[in-house]
Amino acid sequence: MGARASLPAAPPPVTTLLPHLINGLALGLLFALIALGFMLVVSLMETINLAHGSFFALGMYIALLIVAPPGDPAWLPLDAWRGFPVVVRYAIALALAPVVVGALGAVLELALRRTYGKDPLYGLLLTFGAALVLEEGIRALWGSTEKQLPLPQAISGAVLLGDLIYSTYRLFACAFAAVAIGLLWLFLEKTPYGAIIKAGAHDSEMVRALGIDLAKLRRYVFALGVALAALAGIVMAPIWGIRPHVGVDAVVPAFLIIVLGGVGSFWGAVIAALMVGLVVGLTGAYASEWSLLSMYLLFIAVVTFRARGIAGKKSALDV
Amino acid sequence: MSTESKEVVSAAASPTDANPRRRSLLTAIAAGTGATFFGPWKVHHAWAQAAQAKPLVIGLTMDASGQYGASGGEERLGATMAIKEFNDKGGVLGRRIEALHMDTETTPATGSRVAERLITRNEAAFLIGGLHSGVANAISQVAQKYGCVYFNTNSSSPTEAGKDCHRVKFVWDGNGTNFAHAIVKNAIRANGRNWVLLTNDYVWGHQTSKATRQLAEANGAKIVDELMVPQNTRDFSAYLLKLQQIRPEVVAAAVGGDDIKALRQQVVQLGLHKRMAWINNQQDWPDVYGLGPDQIFGVFGTTWYYRLDLPGVKEFVAAYQKQFPGMAIRVPGNVYLNGYMATRELLRCVEEAGTTANIAVIRKLEGRRMTARDRLQHHDAWIDPVTHQCQQTIYMATYNDQPAEKDDIFRVLAQVDPKDVVDAAAPLACKLESYDATPAYQQ
Repeated sequence: MGARASLPAAPPPVTTLLPHLINGLALGLLFALIALGFMLVVSLMETINLAHGSFFALGMYIALLIVAPPGDPAWLPLDAWRGFPVVVRYAIALALAPVVVGALGAVLELALRRTYGKDPLYGLLLTFGAALVLEEGIRALWGSTEKQLPLPQAISGAVLLGDLIYSTYRLFACAFAAVAIGLLWLFLEKTPYGAIIKAGAHDSEMVRALGIDLAKLRRYVFALGVALAALAGIVMAPIWGIRPHVGVDAVVPAFLIIVLGGVGSFWGAVIAALMVGLVVGLTGAYASEWSLLSMYLLFIAVVTFRARGIAGKKSALDV
Repeated sequence: MSTESKEVVSAAASPTDANPRRRSLLTAIAAGTGATFFGPWKVHHAWAQAAQAKPLVIGLTMDASGQYGASGGEERLGATMAIKEFNDKGGVLGRRIEALHMDTETTPATGSRVAERLITRNEAAFLIGGLHSGVANAISQVAQKYGCVYFNTNSSSPTEAGKDCHRVKFVWDGNGTNFAHAIVKNAIRANGRNWVLLTNDYVWGHQTSKATRQLAEANGAKIVDELMVPQNTRDFSAYLLKLQQIRPEVVAAAVGGDDIKALRQQVVQLGLHKRMAWINNQQDWPDVYGLGPDQIFGVFGTTWYYRLDLPGVKEFVAAYQKQFPGMAIRVPGNVYLNGYMATRELLRCVEEAGTTANIAVIRKLEGRRMTARDRLQHHDAWIDPVTHQCQQTIYMATYNDQPAEKDDIFRVLAQVDPKDVVDAAAPLACKLESYDATPAYQQ
């Protein structure tokens, strides 16, 4: 690369701002995907699942196992599997890993059952303990070094948007997040299963009186929330990298987003995620030292004036 | 929450022993008979003392979680190896050495708490370990309060041996200024004068970028912008868009730990490693090991590489692989080496001083010279008595596109004599406490 005498002329401000706005919205969609499962469990089961981040990480590792099984002789039977194109293995990982992790979530829900109706601290402690066990389990099985999820060629590399380069995978991840958000909304709003889940959250006595097995319902909801965490993990793996403690990076923004959006509000959470994405993206570009802090400042600003969050329901205690 | 694990490092329970009980029995009989009838009496005396004397506890203050968790694991192995070697010889001063590790979590507050506990409750004779300069600084403040000698093994902010230096603290890694001296001039000549600094937003990043800025501007470069990267940033898209808009010729990154891993992946996704030159002030081995060939782009500094063509390097690597078989990181790197060398030198100094008393050990360390051969580097090293920083060889490296084996991912471009990269500002900023003002400490 040869030396240049001076930098190229700066483009007009609107042109420079636009990519950051788009990037912020893209980031927001990814945050929404991360928060979806957490939101589902908190709003429909009134349980804060602190193991959400660990299931997010586990999703990454299970996907890694499917897409790129270890070269260890113990895995020799999978040699034929490695012959399949990456795109096939990746697609199967996207479908299968959330199911596997969701099943583990259902097991955790069995343990969680004893805490229902008691001090919420019990549930918090149990899921916190589960998070530690999962993280250490991952560390024991896969080690603590960074891993990478191989990607199909079609969604690797970069695309030119104007004179800027943007990651093809990021565009894919955003589209995937948008579709996942839409499908979950359709499931909750337009199917009888969604109606039962929502009814169970609002009036469990009535749901039980109608002959619906509430215990089973809760198990399915919890498993679905955990499966969504794993799905988000798989999608975020090529962006954040795969490490045993990567879940911490997911659970904190997820928690913040659902409170910011208003606990129980689907679209509130999505809007909050988009706001967080925009704020993080814009501060990253224009006041980079504030970029990580900015989401917390946004949170403080919103809940100071609207304690129930953007779209949270008004409490009977509110005047 | 910090975790604690106690390790008595010894060769007695080698994982390769097929029948440890039988072997232990035979060894005990042979040693007993040999010592009784043939001596040598000095060795016999050491073993007898080691069996009876109070163990020497070394507190390992290393991150097992957070941004530098991976590197913390590596330097812990290095320290463990050195301790094992001494325990195999009968310990030090006739005392068996116990390593007591506590996770400092890449968090300064945890570092303080861990140091306080290791000194006051666990009676640690010495503290070893440091990746994050904020954590190392916090530990050293507590260590100085008690007079406990502390080795900052791997954190590299120039302030560690500058304004935050302490009489009890010894800094074993090259610092940001040393690396900047080694890399900046060449980068300007090879790549251009328009630079952007990408800075991890904490003390190491700030101080390293400050040194880079000073050297770059002094050599005719222009710092067009400096982007601060908060710790634990996982999404660099905003920064990378900004870089595309600025279009610098050189991006000088002072980003470490898990953050640099994420940054490398995202730079490659956009192909930006091909559009602008990248230099990374210091690249720790655990932060790059396992990344694909594409992601090891740019030029970076390090203090060691496992394939240096020097006497003793192959044996050192073989010893690592024998002691730690099946590790995810199959060959040792700079972080492991620093952990090992620092611990070994400390124990040698204790042996030479004939005591664990802090001032006697400190005097042995100050100005200590270590041969290149002994340290497996190209140039002799020494501990600056004014700043307490180990002055050592600095290597410039890049990705090796013709690897001799799978792990051969670096191509060493140059090795720089420590005399040529001295941090001249450090002695001016460092004001060591006097010996009198340092509390006497001995365990």
